Amino acid sequence: MIDINSTPIASLLAEGISYANMQMYVVIMIALVVIMTVLDLLHKKSSIYFFNATAKSEKDLAAGNAPCSLGKEEDRLKILSVGDKVNILASTVVVDISTAGEFSNGLRRLVHILTMWGFIFFNVATIIIIFGAQETQILAQVWNIGAIMLFFGTFWYWFGFKVDSQAEGYSWTRVVIRRDMFSLSLMATSVSVLGWNIYDGGTGVWFILVLLSTTSLFGGVYWSKFSHMFFKPIAAYNKRIIKANGTNENLPHETRNDVWQQNRHSMKLLKDAPMDMGLGIKREAPKHY
Amino acid sequence: MPTFVYMTRCDGCGHCVDICPSDIMHIDDKYRRAYNIEPSMCWECYSCVKACPHQAIDVRGYADFAPLGHSVRVIRDEEKGTIAWRVKFRDGRVKNFLSPITTQPWGTKIPDLRNEPEPSDDMRNSQLLAFEPKYIRMDDGDIHTLESNGLKFKEGVYY
Amino acid sequence: MGIKTIVEDNIDILVVGAGLGGTGAAYEARYWGRNKKIIIAEKANINRSGAVAQGLYAINCYMGTRFGENNPEDHVRYARMDLMGLVREDLLFDMARHVDSAVHKFEEWGLPLMKDPKREAIGAYMREGRWQIMIHGESYKPIVAEAATKQADKVYNRIMVTHLLMDDKKKNRVAGAVGFNVRTGNYHVFKSKTTIVGAGGASNIFKPRSVGEGMGRVWYAPWSSGSAYGLLIEAGAKMTQMENRIVLARFKDGYGPVGAYFLHLKTYTQNGYGNEYESKWFPALSKMVGKEYLDTEGQHLSHKPIPTCLRNHAFISEVNAGRGPIHMVTMEAFKDPHLEEVGWENFLGMTVGQAVLWAATDVDPKYENPELTTSEPYVMGSHATGCGAWCSGPEDISPDEYFWGYNRMTTVDGLFGAGDTVGGTPHAFSSGSFTEGRLAAKAACKYIDDGKAEGIVVSNKQIAERKEQIYKPLENYTIGRNEITAGTVSPSYILPMSGLQRLQKIMDEYCGGVTVSYVTNDKLLNIGLKKLSILEEDLEHIGAEDLHQLMRGWELRHRHRTSECVTQHTLFRKETRWPGYYYRGDAMKLDDKNWHVLTVSHRNRITGKYTLEKAPCYHLVGEEDEK
Ligand SMILES: Cc1cc2nc3c(=O)[nH]c(=O)nc-3n(C[C@H](O)[C@H](O)[C@H](O)COP(=O)(O)OP(=O)(O)OC[C@H]3O[C@@H](n4cnc5c(N)ncnc54)[C@H](O)[C@@H]3O)c2cc1C
Ligand code: SF4
Ligand code: SF4
Repeated sequence: MIDINSTPIASLLAEGISYANMQMYVVIMIALVVIMTVLDLLHKKSSIYFFNATAKSEKDLAAGNAPCSLGKEEDRLKILSVGDKVNILASTVVVDISTAGEFSNGLRRLVHILTMWGFIFFNVATIIIIFGAQETQILAQVWNIGAIMLFFGTFWYWFGFKVDSQAEGYSWTRVVIRRDMFSLSLMATSVSVLGWNIYDGGTGVWFILVLLSTTSLFGGVYWSKFSHMFFKPIAAYNKRIIKANGTNENLPHETRNDVWQQNRHSMKLLKDAPMDMGLGIKREAPKHY
Repeated sequence: MPTFVYMTRCDGCGHCVDICPSDIMHIDDKYRRAYNIEPSMCWECYSCVKACPHQAIDVRGYADFAPLGHSVRVIRDEEKGTIAWRVKFRDGRVKNFLSPITTQPWGTKIPDLRNEPEPSDDMRNSQLLAFEPKYIRMDDGDIHTLESNGLKFKEGVYY
Repeated sequence: MGIKTIVEDNIDILVVGAGLGGTGAAYEARYWGRNKKIIIAEKANINRSGAVAQGLYAINCYMGTRFGENNPEDHVRYARMDLMGLVREDLLFDMARHVDSAVHKFEEWGLPLMKDPKREAIGAYMREGRWQIMIHGESYKPIVAEAATKQADKVYNRIMVTHLLMDDKKKNRVAGAVGFNVRTGNYHVFKSKTTIVGAGGASNIFKPRSVGEGMGRVWYAPWSSGSAYGLLIEAGAKMTQMENRIVLARFKDGYGPVGAYFLHLKTYTQNGYGNEYESKWFPALSKMVGKEYLDTEGQHLSHKPIPTCLRNHAFISEVNAGRGPIHMVTMEAFKDPHLEEVGWENFLGMTVGQAVLWAATDVDPKYENPELTTSEPYVMGSHATGCGAWCSGPEDISPDEYFWGYNRMTTVDGLFGAGDTVGGTPHAFSSGSFTEGRLAAKAACKYIDDGKAEGIVVSNKQIAERKEQIYKPLENYTIGRNEITAGTVSPSYILPMSGLQRLQKIMDEYCGGVTVSYVTNDKLLNIGLKKLSILEEDLEHIGAEDLHQLMRGWELRHRHRTSECVTQHTLFRKETRWPGYYYRGDAMKLDDKNWHVLTVSHRNRITGKYTLEKAPCYHLVGEEDEK
């Protein structure tokens, strides 16, 4: 069985692979990720898009209330203080970034959290061990737990929440390399590092699988939507800002909570209705086929 | 393209794929996000827009005749039983609307007819439908027939 | 792709297409058939499928006998008048005497019906016009869908039904349906004692005015693929009044509805130079159709509404005379903020695309009178036209020629229709379609209880042949694709969209579409039929890249079969019965002597030959008419 109090990294030393060699490999992997992400960003000019989006919201806010002939505009806009923005930044970090607040489905969110934190734990522990040139029990536990979380997260995703399988009814065996390479590499990485540990390290088959899967994972960044990850925090922050300042990409803001609305002629029919009508179409999972 | 999906808002949940009556919202192979695969078969019916939990779907009017720069957005709130619209013109004017979409908590007033009393043979052989004649006039009046209304059928040309 | 065959056996009532007609059928079937197996097969998702996907802002068919407003025969006379005399009055009377009970149920379930503040004491609904009541109907479809789903044993969503199954033992008896799942690709076989088809009318069979992205902004939904007609004609059911296509006067490009504007907001039309134009065209038109249908002098005295097609005629004539565009005068009504709100909510509630267009073009009807247009023709049977299947009426009303045992049963045993499917019943709209579904379901239960559905046999051969046929377009594509490097052009297959555009071009140019100002004649129609039969040969070579395209391919086949039937009927009726819908250039007059009849067609399932006949037109006559 697996021993979570140690990692197989040190076993490489006996095979003639020094920490310096390992550091070299990690540096190459990090360089791959950085170069490919930067290339992707340059190629797509996505940073310009985000800059423009932020500017647009500021412009809408500065313009003030739009000329409005039906319904109400007052109380829609709000100039945010520095304190407001700090609060928004904090909730972006806590909710959106660290606990995948973008997902509306609770289980899917959990799967994402497992995968993301597993990935982070595993990689950070690896880097500290290799660059610190020594392994502690705590680091080993973090490394193993990270790999196990990654394993459960990725496999649960593939068989339970893979978007196209769920929404499109595709069989889980249907693989599109361009799309699935990143997920499959993550799955392979989690399996191979755990296998490598269970079978006592060394430079055998399992080690080769570890090298292959991690190289494919980090080397495939350009073709995956990895660079997209960097935008998620910016996008999440932006979304919260525009909601708070009221520009909100022109989404409607009027609701039944407003007494003025409750008394409007067309809302009279709901005068005595409960404020919570429960769920209609959204009661069921989106799998009607 | 009539509907399109904002990259930073879509989480690939599949609600739009599930609801579109034209079967044209699908998940993109690379980004695992939804998009409109056949804009010329989109009715701008907004079913997907209303179903999206993240307001990730928006509409850009048909390029044949709709200039850029407009925005018609919606929030359909099932819990509150309302639908809110915001119409923004190309020149920046806006109009806001709020209307009811149900007067009863969803589904609570719709019976399972298996639990209703069985109709009698008389009813089966009559022209009555379920809950008739009461629901025709909400009183004790009976169903209309040719006799009751003093009518008959004749062939030929009548105006 | 591993295609599984999934068989649902021993069904009592199979509902094909769960729109307004289909949901009504599933709901009512449970009331009369407590232990019956009720299955729904729906092409999309029942919560939003069909013509009511966006919602509706009015229920266009409500008598209001409860408030002393109208009797069923009043509605029959109105529909008869609007359709220039030719309707199935037995079916209409039957629908009208039941329709209120459906609407009262809708209200109970939670559909928000507006109340008339002036008649608050009796709780009367807000009238838009004599037959229409106003609703906040955004969730009309989810509400009726739940009413149906609760009663059904199972709802199969995303099943494109391609063919009806026929009894291999007894001739001319239906045995269920087959189709495929648009998501999984699986082959679905439904073996059933009775089948109620509510698969809706047909858009996109005539070339639309907008041909790019905008071809999606058709008046009737782009997913209305004429399956109701395609399925039935293939099964050998007789059809009626298929020539009676509809052209709609609507707001230009967005096709936003005009009903609430004319009736509730009291707006009116004028030509591009600000003048009233309709009355100018009526004297000549009156000569064309006869005084009985358009009485220029007596019209404003009799308060009879002018038939929809005749108003179209004035519109088309004025535009062709070079005095377009026709405007809707909204600036007066929209001064009242309440009416302005109604005008906008009307669009947001049922044709959002029109609101999008006005926002895009800065048209605010308060400051500018918007343009109107006449649409390309549509083939459907529940609005102001009565295309559809030749069905039996109810026992207590129908004359012998209109009655063969079970209400709303087609000429194929065990095969029933509802909504657009049923011919000769215009002005049923949403509530009437739901009601027809209910009527069909009660009759279907009785048909089974009477022992009419015993001993149905479906051979494995029939099931296997259909399967092969259904997936052939995928095969065509996969094999043919090897021939070419890339792109959409292949010498051995055509894509569904290309086939659709060919169909639309044929129908437009030869069968009286918009580019020929709705005019056709016997010569053109015969050429059209020939081109349609060659197109049918090519439809064997449709290439479908994926399941979505496979669905489009089968929709095209249903549209093609519908179009062929429409062309046959148009050729048969040698008169211009509905000027403003279409014109027979070789017979420009209404001819009551020879054509005050309903047209009925039958396509032989084996040879594909059509036989057309005239069926008598019966009218409801009351005491005052007798004098
Ligand atoms: C823009 C517009 C405005 C309207 N306004 C009003 C109004 O104000 N008031 C009013 O009362 N009525 C109105 N109507 C009319 C009303 O919507 C229709 O009369 C009614 O929906 C017709 O009902 P149906 O059941 O025949 O067809 P639909 O409701 O269209 O249902 C057809 C069903 O069949 C399914 N289907 C199709 N093909 C297949 C297949 N091959 N296999 C399986 N399933 C299939 C479809 O997905 C759909 O669910 C309007 C319609 C439109 C388009
Ligand atoms: S419903 Fe919205 S979030 Fe979900 S897949 Fe569609 S666009 Fe994306
Ligand atoms: S607007 Fe309607 S037709 Fe268009 S993609 Fe959305 S659901 Fe489909």
